[in-house]
Amino acid sequence: MTITIDGKICSCEKGEKLLAVARRNRIPIPTLCHHESLPGQASCRVCIVEVVQQGRSTVTSACVYPVEEGIQVYTNSDRIRRERGMILALLHKRAPDSRLIADMCRIYGAPELNRVSVSLPGKCILCGLCVRACAELSVGAISTVNRGVTKEIATPYHEPSAVCVGCGSCASVCPTGAIEVTETADTRTIWDKTFPLVRCARCGAPIGTREELDHAARKAGVERETLCEHCRRRSMTDVLAAAYGD
Amino acid sequence: MTRTILVCCGTGCLANGSLEVADEFRRLIEARGADARVECQVKRTGCNGFCENGPIVKILPDDIIYYKVRRRDVQEIMDKTVAEGQAVERLLYRDDGGRPVLHQHENPFYAPQHKIALRNIGAIDPTRVEDYLEAGGYQALRMALEMTPAEIIEQVKRSGLRGRGGAGFPTWRKWQAAAEQENFPKYVACNGDEGDPGAFMDRSVLEGDPHTVLEGLAICALAIGAEEGFLYIRDEYGLAVRNITAAIADAERHGILGENVLGSGRRLKLSVVRGGGAFVCGEETALIASIEGSCGEPRPRPPFPAERGLFGQPTVLNNVETLANIPVILKDGGDAFAAVGTEGSKGTKVFALVGKVKRTGLVEIPMGATLRHLIFDIGGGIQNDRPFKAVQTGGPSGGCIPAHMLDLPVDFDTLKSHGAMMGSGGMIVMDDRSCMVEVARYYINFLAEESCGKCTPCREGLRKMLEILTDICEGRGQEGDIELLEELGHTLQDSCLCALGKTAPNPVLTTIQYFREEYEAHIREHRCPAGVCVKLTSFRIDGARCRGCTACARACPTGAISGGVKQPHVIDPAKCISCGSCREACRFDAVETEGREAV
Ligand SMILES: Cc1cc2nc3c(=O)[nH]c(=O)nc-3n(C[C@H](O)[C@H](O)[C@H](O)COP(=O)(O)O)c2cc1C
Ligand code: SF4
Ligand code: SF4
Ligand code: SF4
Ligand code: FES
Repeated sequence: MTITIDGKICSCEKGEKLLAVARRNRIPIPTLCHHESLPGQASCRVCIVEVVQQGRSTVTSACVYPVEEGIQVYTNSDRIRRERGMILALLHKRAPDSRLIADMCRIYGAPELNRVSVSLPGKCILCGLCVRACAELSVGAISTVNRGVTKEIATPYHEPSAVCVGCGSCASVCPTGAIEVTETADTRTIWDKTFPLVRCARCGAPIGTREELDHAARKAGVERETLCEHCRRRSMTDVLAAAYGD
Repeated sequence: MTRTILVCCGTGCLANGSLEVADEFRRLIEARGADARVECQVKRTGCNGFCENGPIVKILPDDIIYYKVRRRDVQEIMDKTVAEGQAVERLLYRDDGGRPVLHQHENPFYAPQHKIALRNIGAIDPTRVEDYLEAGGYQALRMALEMTPAEIIEQVKRSGLRGRGGAGFPTWRKWQAAAEQENFPKYVACNGDEGDPGAFMDRSVLEGDPHTVLEGLAICALAIGAEEGFLYIRDEYGLAVRNITAAIADAERHGILGENVLGSGRRLKLSVVRGGGAFVCGEETALIASIEGSCGEPRPRPPFPAERGLFGQPTVLNNVETLANIPVILKDGGDAFAAVGTEGSKGTKVFALVGKVKRTGLVEIPMGATLRHLIFDIGGGIQNDRPFKAVQTGGPSGGCIPAHMLDLPVDFDTLKSHGAMMGSGGMIVMDDRSCMVEVARYYINFLAEESCGKCTPCREGLRKMLEILTDICEGRGQEGDIELLEELGHTLQDSCLCALGKTAPNPVLTTIQYFREEYEAHIREHRCPAGVCVKLTSFRIDGARCRGCTACARACPTGAISGGVKQPHVIDPAKCISCGSCREACRFDAVETEGREAV
């Protein structure tokens, strides 16, 4: 089936998400909370677009909207520019320290909003991706606490978490780099907790925190990994070579 | 001769001591012994909806109804009414002309009502399934068992029933969508979260006629092919939870529900889930998440619950009042139901009429009745005969309708096209002493606190709107504020994830639309025309009108008012905190307000 996006006819399959169709056709739609491996968050709302169907126009978020035959999509109409700008301006008030948000405000012409106060200093836009990432690993060390304006992402009681394994997945999915990770030669510190780093038994490259490797091993029911990915692949070749006498 | 004494034991009447009254009747009846000429039974019923006049006692078959009955009145009722059929005049309601009203249907509050959803409430004992059966209960379920799902849905379609939970979505379309799914198991669920402050129609039905809800839900289950269902009930509704839980157990004991529904071999297992306590948990996807045991936050739709709902399976969620209409639709036929109401909104709607009206309570009237009818005929007009200013319809995220639109017919589409909504049926009536900016601020404050905070525009936008509104109310308003509120409002309406955020700007946008000059007075003149916003109002007594009754001086919490009896009184501005107590107390309208220099 086909739909039109900003006047361009795009072919797509039923049920495909609008964002995916747009990206395939090189039509840019800004996103913040969309992550390929954690779809469906739909919380930031910067990906809003206008969808016209049977003469009726509605605003919806492209990252979760399943396309339907014959719709016309406008990613950059006046209405969308105005509202997206307002959303970005609100995010800038929430996360004044985020460079990304400040840049997006400029690119998308967000209004200044000097009239209202800044919520709190920081970079977090409360998209919730980090919480999802951690939960997906079946750790669940962090969660959103409180509602509304006092909402934040935290470990229970703001204490160093008993279950965090220091994998850094939360930090790596964060769109604004709001989660601080610091590494020394043999430690990694995240969420106020410091973890020893394990090095590859063969080449000595860091392969992760001890807790992280233990957690992965427990989940998979195998021994803790001792090699980095590179050396693991090499050792696999060695094993195969030995087996086939090559 | 047999007489039945119906004692209202809804939450309102219970709080006013109706249990004592019922016990006193029982005690006196027992004490009379076997030689009594009149046999009688005492029944505890659900809420009659006129709670401010409770406890309410009805005597059948005489159909005499008493209000504000106390334990000490019971002996007299026994002697006069139960024994002799005579009325106790001082306990009767007095109509607008001061005449005593003997029967419920002659009471101006009840006379225009048309009861479908509330048909049994106040007439049956909700804890006795026998009462419900006697009133024709579960006949519709019996009929449904003889029908195909398509036939059931056809009747619901003909009825034109639209969901009473807020959005007004055609009920049959939801049922049809779920019925078409080939994916089993399927679920039915009843939304009894009722988070709107001031609304209590669903509580009243759950408490006063629980079997109606179960029957409606059971019929829905047959229509879509579900064998399991949940009733999600707000945690504070203790009596509702108790009555529904007992009703499920009774129905199962009588073979009406459970493993073998009315002997048909069909299975339907219902259970109660207590609500998570947040307003947003009433939103359907959040409610589903909450039943599943996860955090009650909305998720994007589609997929709609009819396709993927509870535990990922097809689910129909209906509101309590929606379900209460279903047995009637099946029994009388969809066409009969559709004969009441307007073109686009069929049947009746229950409203919680509150605020500055003379008579407040639950009112069920046909769709399409005018606001004037509701507020002036049923509600008896405005307290102290002050001017009517506006009515907030549809709960916190509804809209404010002004006086010149009193003749608007109340139905889903009319309200929506005027920026308001039906919502759950809240009607908060305001007089000329309500400040529309403060009203908007109040609702936005509520909604900002209830926002789940998942999506940007609702979480951040409501906070900013609240900040601006608070500034305006406290004299810090600026040029451009009204436009910024509108801009934020439109952004929220379009871009929020769920209907909480999408509808939240309604109170702001409608008050700007209909009362813009009031916003401007706050911003430009630092004046609150209604004399409500403390920082923008100073109080003064008009010496010419003051009769020196001293009422204001006694009401003033800070002792700011001086003046002898029959002497004009004076307010000391240094002590006055602008609370307005004096104005409320004055019966001669001598207390005036004016603006004040901004802080
Ligand atoms: C914030 C919010 C709160 C809601 N609260 C309720 C509620 O308390 N009770 C209810 O029946 N519907 C409530 N709804 C509407 C439900 O999402 C849903 O539309 C309704 O239960 C469907 O039933 P109906 O079709 O019978 O109306 C709420 C919606 C929103 C957005
Ligand atoms: S670093 Fe800790 S909090 Fe972050 S994803 Fe890993 S386990 Fe969860
Ligand atoms: S820390 Fe990053 S990923 Fe987590 S909610 Fe904040 S912005 Fe989103
Ligand atoms: S609109 Fe408000 S309540 Fe609804 S998901 Fe967004 S933040 Fe939560
Ligand atoms: S990217 Fe779509 S809502 Fe955030």
